[in-house]
Parts: sequence; C-alpha cells; structure tokens
Amino acid sequence: MYVRLFSAIWLLLCIWLAFVAWGFQAPFAYDPVGPRAYPLLLLGLMGAGALWLIIKPGLMEQQLHIPTLKRSAMCVLVLLAYALTFEPLGFVLSTCVAVFLLGLLFTGRPVPCLISAVLMGILLFLLFDYLLDVPLPLGVLEAYVEG
Amino acid sequence: METLTYLLQGFDVATRPANLLVALFGAFVGTIVGLLPGLGPINGVALLLPLAFALGLPPETALILLAAVYLGCEYGGRISAILLNVPGDAAAVMTTLDGYPLARQGKAGIALSLSAVSSFIGSIIATCGVVLFAPLLAKWAVAFGPAEYFVLMIFAIACLGGMVGDKPVKTLMAALIGLALATVGVDSTTGVYRFTFGSVSLSDGIQFVIVVIGFFSVSEVLLMLEKTHNGQKAVKASGRLLFNFKEFCFTFWTMVRSAVAGFVIGTLPGAGATIASAMTYMTEKRMAGNSGKFGEGDLRGLAAPEAANNASACGSLIPMLTLGVPGSGTTAVMIGALTLYNITPGPLLFEQQPDVVWGLIASLFIGNVILLVMNIPLVGLFSRMLSVPNWVLVPAITVISMVGVYAVHSTTFDLVLMILLGVFGYILRKLDFPLSAVILGFVLGELMEDNLRRALSISAGDLGILWSSPITLILWALVVLMLSLPGLRWWRARKARIAHA
Repeated sequence: MYVRLFSAIWLLLCIWLAFVAWGFQAPFAYDPVGPRAYPLLLLGLMGAGALWLIIKPGLMEQQLHIPTLKRSAMCVLVLLAYALTFEPLGFVLSTCVAVFLLGLLFTGRPVPCLISAVLMGILLFLLFDYLLDVPLPLGVLEAYVEG
Repeated sequence: METLTYLLQGFDVATRPANLLVALFGAFVGTIVGLLPGLGPINGVALLLPLAFALGLPPETALILLAAVYLGCEYGGRISAILLNVPGDAAAVMTTLDGYPLARQGKAGIALSLSAVSSFIGSIIATCGVVLFAPLLAKWAVAFGPAEYFVLMIFAIACLGGMVGDKPVKTLMAALIGLALATVGVDSTTGVYRFTFGSVSLSDGIQFVIVVIGFFSVSEVLLMLEKTHNGQKAVKASGRLLFNFKEFCFTFWTMVRSAVAGFVIGTLPGAGATIASAMTYMTEKRMAGNSGKFGEGDLRGLAAPEAANNASACGSLIPMLTLGVPGSGTTAVMIGALTLYNITPGPLLFEQQPDVVWGLIASLFIGNVILLVMNIPLVGLFSRMLSVPNWVLVPAITVISMVGVYAVHSTTFDLVLMILLGVFGYILRKLDFPLSAVILGFVLGELMEDNLRRALSISAGDLGILWSSPITLILWALVVLMLSLPGLRWWRARKARIAHA
C-alpha cells in the first residue's frame, strides 16, 4: 500500500520534473546531446519503474505504528532544530541541547543525559576545533573567547 | 617483476609512520563501528571521510584510512554476530547462524578467534588477487573509450539489479534515483543550471559527503529509534580463548575456497560482501551434506562467510581502482573520496598515481596484520563496546555527522539538506529500496552522463557507437544476462510451485 502511495507521488514528481527539464536549453549547441536529454531519459525510466510498482507493489504488509511515528517526527524536529541553531547558537550550546534531547528520546534518564550532553558539547568542540583543526562556529560564546 | 617493484614502493609508502598510525587508528575505529549493530562499513567510511578531508591528509593517507576502516568493519561485524546474535553489519548475517550457537555452547572464545583468522586468510588471499589481477586489468582497461565506459556502468547497475535478489525493480529504481540526484547543479558541458530552482547552494550540485552522511547516518539514527532494544545480554566469552590446531585444519580448506569465491564475487561491480557470504555459506552447507551440523554451531559455517566477506571487500577494490566503477557501496564512497581530491579513479591511476594505488594495496597487507593482532587479544575490550547505551551512542553519531557535513562548506543549508536527505533515505529504507544502490547511482551519475555525451560527440550523435565495438557487445550481452536473472529465478520458483501442487 505504502509502496503504491510512494510510487504514485514519485510518478507525479517525475512528470513535474520532466516539465522543468524540458526547459533546459543551451544557448549554443556544444555537443549533439545537449543538457536535457539525459535527465529526461532518467525521468522516463524512473516514471516507468514507478508505474510498475503501482501495478505490482510486491508483498509488504507493514502497519504504521503511531507512537513510533510520533517519536520519529520528534527526532526529525530535534535534528532540524539542531541544524538551524548550529551557526547562530554555536557548536557548544546547540550540541548540548541536541544531545540532551536526543538522549531523552532514546530512553535515557535526564541526569545522565544532561551530563553526557555537557561533556560532549565541550569535549567534542575541543577535539575538533583545536586538535583536528576543523573550524566550528562559536556563536553566542564568541564574545567570551579570545580569537 | 614490475609489479614487485611497485609493491615494494607501495610498502615504502604504507610504512611511513604517519600512514602506519592512520592504519592503526582506522583499524581500531573500523572494528568498533563494525561491531555496533546497525552501523556498517559505509557508515564508518562516511563518518571519517569528511574528517580526513578537513584534516588535509594527503590522498594516499586518506585512502589508507578509509581502507583500514572498511577492513576493520568486516572484522568487527562478526563480534556482535557471535556474542549477541545481532549482525554488526549486513555481511555478518550469515555469521550469526553458526556463531551464536557456538557462543551458547560456551565456545565463544574459539568462535571469535577462529573467525578472526578466517577473516585474515580471506583478506590476504584476496589482496594477493588484487596484486596479481589489478595491474593486468588496468592495462586492458586503457582500451576502454567513452562508449565502453558508458556500457560498463550500465552493466554495473544491471549487476545490482540482477544479483540483489528479490526486488530488481526497486533496486533499479534506487539506482535511478541516485543517478538523478547527480544531475542537480550546473551541467559541466554547457553551463546550464539543472534542477537548482534558483538556489545558489545547489549550483555546483549536491555534495557527495552530504548525500552519504544524510542517507546513511541520519536515516540510521531514525531506524535505531524504532528498535531501542535494551537489555539484550551479550554472551560472555569464557573457556578456551584460542582454537586448536585440529579445528584450524578442519576449517582450512573451507576458508580458502570461500576466500577465492568471495574475491571473485567482490570483483563484480555491484555485487558486494553480503552476497558473497550468503553464497559461500550455502555452498559449504551443501558440500558438507548430512555430516555437517550447520545452523547448530558448525565451525565451517562460521569460517565460510567470514573469509568470504573480507575477501569480497578486498576484491571490490579491483573495479574501483582499475575501472573507476565501484564494486560495492563502500567503494562507491571511496571513489567519492578520491574525487574530492581531484583524482579520477580509472586505468590511468596506476600510471599517474602509483603511490596512491600501491600504497593502498600494501596497506591492505599491513592493515590485516594489525587487525589480526588487535582482534585476538582485544576482543574483551571490543565486546565491552556492545554495552554502550543508545542514548550516548546516537547523539554522538549525530554530532559527528553534523561536524562532518559542516566541515565541507560551513553553511546551514548543507546541514538542513543532509537531514532532509536522511528523512528521504529513511522512507526509502522503510519501503525496502536498497540505499547502497542509490549511492552507487549517485557516484556513477556524472561519469555516466559525461561518457555518454563524449561518445555521442565522437560519433556526431549517432547512437550506433554504443554497440559498435566488440567490448561493448560483450558488455551488452552481460547486461542482458544480468537483467534476465531475476526473471529466470521467478520462472524456476513458479515451476517448482506448479510441480509441488
């Protein structure tokens, strides 16, 4: 069922993208193929595959489990929040928050999670930024740390 | 003779202190990543790749690191398979069948040490195979023109569809999704922007690191959320820790046979360690007949898949080094790593970058010795890693993934894109699309289009060039063969069903 749904969405997406791809025109013809033939070929094949899966989705009876789905959605939200606060808040703070929340999601107890969050935020920053030379954003902590 | 000189030169590169240190580190990290349930070689390589790049390691050192991680994962996967009955990576599924029963019988120590030696023998035989055959194939591959390359890549994708068993349409769809993702960005021949939707960050395409980490780390985190299995106790390794000579002799030929078979399967583009271990296990089971107690703790059932999966891991380096076409998902990631360094894998690599190629091959020998030495005495330490709880492990994976992606371009856009790709990968996985096919497609995407267009430029648009030379014709025949395999299997299954009824 879900395979059918996915394939149907994918087919529509392919059709839309094919319209987008139709507009790829090079101002000069550099080569006999041009920029739009290859994407159109791929989209066509994918569309055919999606059609096949709509007709014959194969055996897969899988029930959505609502509590799991909720937790997955929460997890995605935490990850997105982490990504969006990574630069403004800086690595240390955003990591602390994200590690703490993820730890809770993965059935950790609050206090140990908090400890691991603070440790990871600070230690990983030191490890990456100083030892491994990967520049990481300091964010709001910038004012307190000298260049 | 020439090969020997090059090999010595390779050992010279591989034994530099920095490279030895990197191999040691990679082997250690690889074993740990391999034994953690759910995380396999692709995850290990994907996590370390951006770091290697950000650290500014020279290409040969970076490749040695990744190869050591790859091998280490194949060694590590068996530990959780034997002690926990949970395969540490996909290739270790077969190891659980006889490894766990052995552990339950109190022979965990024997199983662990014997499987370490099987892995070692598998890798060494396959590495010798690489030394012998890779230069030959590279010489032969110079004759490949753009048309031949294009058909070869079609063959790689067809292999995937034909070998990965029960869902050819989904596998091919997954590969197509990967190919399509690779078309995003500016078209290299004409400068037309494709599928960027006005975004500047997408104009030079989706970065390889982002795709790999999104698909493999983020989606893995989401999958782990579903099965927060707690409290599964690992079997304690007690009793005799080392196998005896009789047990070694009993399994020796199994190891050699499986290693050779694994190597051959590994060299096929697209077919990886999982298929190799499954096929050799089945073969050994059939050969043993009624005398074996496969499934209840037969030592041969342990030695066969372990030797095979390590052998195929090494074997899959052959198509990667000589043709630039990956033999497995992990080597696809390694090709991506090389392109980050502006090195295009292919037949000319052997002439232009002998340090990289032979350094890598020599480091396979060294890495294997390191892993064998590390794995037998340190097994206690590694098995303790199995008790790291998920609420520490998952956040750590997340943070390292974020840093890895951030190190490439330092933009928030990349981080968000990584998570969106991760969610997409998670959906694909839930729907049973194989993600390694997506990665293979993504790596091949640009090469495939370039070669197709170059071929058609040569022939001024005549499609006939794609099947004009003998090489292309042979490759097309192989493609047809591969694509007809699932149909053949389906037909045989149906005949068996009818006969049964």
